[in-house]
Amino acid sequence: MLIASIQSALSDHDLVQLREELTSRIGSLRARGVVIDVAALDVLDSFATRTIRGIAYTVKLRGAETVVVGIQPAVAYSMVQLGLTLESVATALDLEEGIALLNRTLSTRSRRGG
Amino acid sequence: MAKAFALEQDRRFNKQMEISNQDIARMKAFLEFRDEDADHLASLRDMARKYTNPVIDEFYGHLLSFEETRTFFRDPKVLERVKGQQKAYFLGLTEGDYGTNYVADRLRVGTVHEHIGLAPRWYLGMYAFYLRAIAGRLMEAFASDPGKAMKLFLAMVKLAFFDMTLTINTYIYAREDALRRQQEAIRELSTPVLQIRDRLLLLPIVGVIDSQRARLITEGVLRAIRDSRARVVVMDVTGVATIDSRVANHLLQTVAAARLMGATVIVTGLSAEVAQSLVGLGIDLTTLNTVGDLQGGIEEGERLLGFRVVKAGNGAQPA
Repeated sequence: MLIASIQSALSDHDLVQLREELTSRIGSLRARGVVIDVAALDVLDSFATRTIRGIAYTVKLRGAETVVVGIQPAVAYSMVQLGLTLESVATALDLEEGIALLNRTLSTRSRRGG
Repeated sequence: MAKAFALEQDRRFNKQMEISNQDIARMKAFLEFRDEDADHLASLRDMARKYTNPVIDEFYGHLLSFEETRTFFRDPKVLERVKGQQKAYFLGLTEGDYGTNYVADRLRVGTVHEHIGLAPRWYLGMYAFYLRAIAGRLMEAFASDPGKAMKLFLAMVKLAFFDMTLTINTYIYAREDALRRQQEAIRELSTPVLQIRDRLLLLPIVGVIDSQRARLITEGVLRAIRDSRARVVVMDVTGVATIDSRVANHLLQTVAAARLMGATVIVTGLSAEVAQSLVGLGIDLTTLNTVGDLQGGIEEGERLLGFRVVKAGNGAQPA
């Protein structure tokens, strides 16, 4: 399982770099889950949202699951105001919850023989 | 304690009412209260000293002769104290200085009267008494020069109106302040978020949802989700009579925002009429996780969280 913790405001370039790094690491580490922690961010704009969604889709194609955790109340509110809802990306309250959610998802998947 | 509170409130009022020197000047200009009027009034100082005691005695005689005003002076000690204050006020009328301190004092007195619940009609009525008492004495003192008496009296009338204006301001302000506080209280009451199980919140919405309230509701839910680490929120809209496209949009936003924080929202209590009108209006709420009634919603929430409610064996037990 990979945990990407974003500690400060990221530039668009940083975000793209994060996406590239995560997708390649999944292969090398044989990770089956990725948690992206955005608790330290007090704003998520449309580019950041799109990139995170892009990461989730890419990760999915690489055979792993993504959970975005730590979106703050004010961030969540302004995101929906802008119509950014991160649809079809799993979310959880914080890191702990995110890891628990991933474990649940992965165990059901392996039970199904996935 | 109560006194400290009252003082604190006075200070707050005076600060918030913010009557600046410029305002005072404009008010005086409107009343045509000029420097010469202030001089006129100051020239009456000796006369005021002479008449203070009889006038104040008459003043309270008048107040005590009416049931509505008598109730404020049941305690003789209180009566003595306010008499002293009234004397100071009466003498202050001829002080000749009607600037910031005078205004602050008037505002303070107005606030106190509002505070004890003396209705403006009694308060203002006593100005009529003062003017009457003063008019009589002026006519007596300037019997040979009625023109002078009239000038002096008009100066007094202007000052009385100046005082009344300030007082009424305090009354109005106090009422507005009370109204504001009530509105705040209603707003707080209108969006309770209740925890009914570990990680399960209940959000009963009652009444009309407008944009501002929708924002407060959403913010309240998001905060509650973080604080109680909730994973499921049951939003009950049984008490919402009508849902139009705007309200529906608010609901969708709340649900989407809660989801971003990792919480699932279950909407319950969409009545038959509301459901039909939503479909009629072509509003798509099928993306929402809806359950018929509140009980069902709570059960669904418990199921999602892995709770199992088991009835304790008692009563009709299977044989």
